[in-house]
Amino acid sequence: MKSREEEYREIFMAEALEYYDAMSRHISELEKDPNDEKALHELFRLMHNLKANARAMGFNDIGEVAHRMETIFGLIRSKERTFSGSLVPVLFTGVDTLGGMIRAVDQDEDVANADQLLHNLDLLVEGEEPILEPDEKNVDEDATRKLELSDLVYIQIKKLDHLLNLVGELIIDRDRILTLSQEIGSPALQAAASHLFRIADDLQYSVMDARLVNVGSLFNKFPRVVRDVAVAEKKEVELTIIGQDIQIDRNILQIITDALLHLVRNAIGHGLETPEERVRAGKPEQGSLTLSAQTERDDVLIQVIDDGKGIDVEQVRRKAVERGLVSAEASRSLDANAVRAFLFEPGFSMAKEVTDISGRGVGLDVVKLAIDSLGGQLRVDSTLGQGTTFTLVLPTSIAVKGALLFELEERSYAIPLMHTDSVVSLQPKELHVVGGILMARLLGENVPVVDLRQLLHNSDGALLPAVKAELQGRQDIIIVNYNNRKLGLIVDRFLRQQDIVIKPMSKPLDMIDLFGGVTLLGSGQVCLVIDVPALTRLFLAKRP
Amino acid sequence: MKNRILIVDDSFYMRTMLKNMLTDAGYEVVGEAANGQQALEMASATRPDLITLDVILPDNTGLDVLKGIRQEQPDVKVVMCSAVGQEVIVNEALESGATAYIVKPFSEEKVLEIVGGALQNQDSDSSEA
Repeated sequence: MKSREEEYREIFMAEALEYYDAMSRHISELEKDPNDEKALHELFRLMHNLKANARAMGFNDIGEVAHRMETIFGLIRSKERTFSGSLVPVLFTGVDTLGGMIRAVDQDEDVANADQLLHNLDLLVEGEEPILEPDEKNVDEDATRKLELSDLVYIQIKKLDHLLNLVGELIIDRDRILTLSQEIGSPALQAAASHLFRIADDLQYSVMDARLVNVGSLFNKFPRVVRDVAVAEKKEVELTIIGQDIQIDRNILQIITDALLHLVRNAIGHGLETPEERVRAGKPEQGSLTLSAQTERDDVLIQVIDDGKGIDVEQVRRKAVERGLVSAEASRSLDANAVRAFLFEPGFSMAKEVTDISGRGVGLDVVKLAIDSLGGQLRVDSTLGQGTTFTLVLPTSIAVKGALLFELEERSYAIPLMHTDSVVSLQPKELHVVGGILMARLLGENVPVVDLRQLLHNSDGALLPAVKAELQGRQDIIIVNYNNRKLGLIVDRFLRQQDIVIKPMSKPLDMIDLFGGVTLLGSGQVCLVIDVPALTRLFLAKRP
Repeated sequence: MKNRILIVDDSFYMRTMLKNMLTDAGYEVVGEAANGQQALEMASATRPDLITLDVILPDNTGLDVLKGIRQEQPDVKVVMCSAVGQEVIVNEALESGATAYIVKPFSEEKVLEIVGGALQNQDSDSSEA
């Protein structure tokens, strides 16, 4: 992480080099047309800025030269001097000297002595004749002048997208070559392949790294949003921002922008109470809203935390029954987490009235969709009367994802680890049939289990009721987790855990929403990537 | 509510430094303008409590901006940021209604002292009114 001093230094250097380029340009313009007021004003302004910035950084030598140069350009502006005669070469030398000093500071070298120049500039301020070196009289003969380009490059994000796609392709070929080299068994080929493996790995992380931006670049837009929403909703809100320096892929940040905006508006509109309500509830008048980012293993956690009234689980439970999302009877057995998950169902809004800012029919389901599209998770925790926390679990990068590979009917499939809870092997006697559905008892929790084969094959109609007698021997089961709902998938065989590059499906296969994409394995085999949210929805729709 | 501040300076370096100082001290920086035109637009859009205004800007002088802002918002506090050698402009700015001025390069303590002082006046003014 960069310290503030390093950040200041980088900004200073980038700006100083920019200023130097502009100064060189403007002083040439002024030489062509000594009455060019615009160029003169720019030179004056640039010297002014360079002086102030250099002094703030403690680069006093630069500050001294810039200060005198500014004074002289000021005198030319007020017509007390003209840009002519011996003044011209001294000012050119001044600009060149500044360029040299800036470069020296950049490279941590000692700044060359500028006493002669400073003395000449002082003479000019006093209205006296400067002492010119023989070669200084002709400004065009400066052969030592170097052309400097900025160290910073602005890149369009689509160029980085392209680069990342290419790296993805390369990784797939790399895995293929590595597998082939092992099959062929040539030591030389194996050595080359493992070198390729390391280089490609390095390349992949470098490209991923180039795409990272600070979460702060999004968070820092929120003080204004919060203020406006708070005013419109007549709430008093104190915003705290934590973890601006956490880094995340720029496109992921782009995709969650609207989701975060929605959550923040929601928190102020529906979460936080009015000052009067808060005082009645024994809370401080000003509500607290926190935007926080932190890393957890390979993921980035972004949280929107308010200390408002919290979510009334019973109210959500009633509403879910009213909307027919769950039967009244079944609803009673759901725990608070399962009930709160209904908030992410399409069109499920708890807003009693529509306000200007929030509750215009755009529900949390839209937030959920955005997070799903990234392969992330959205969680909500809440204590009635004390507040609500929304947690977005996001991948740091979109390039590769950890996945669990398994086999079903001699084909390989992958499930992103983000959605994998655990894997278990159970004997048939550990499974029970309840209402036509297989259930497993895991860590005190009843988890429905379905044969993935049936779910994938059965295209129309409901699933057949499960028959326990059909199960033979140990069952390999992957427990997936989506929106606080766990589901066990019976597969033929677990293969291994592996980082995969997911490629989107091309037309017309992109219509099959059960699969989030494909990946190529080192063996050259195509492997379908299961879309856990879609699979969970399919199960819920088809359960007997 | 936090006091809301608009920063006007054509140097990104200066803006970053001022923003960090002010944000760390608990102020809300509602915007950053890099030239006079932007400054006028942002001042009228954000209605800040205080503006830090650099005396030298690319398109017009800080003095013109000050006058423009004053016409629209007589109550906003304006702290001029100048450098050594600009006493003439500073004096004119104070006569044109600037609240205070800071001389670059400034220390964090000085900035906070002057900004805090300028806003203090605002509070006592409004309580008298």
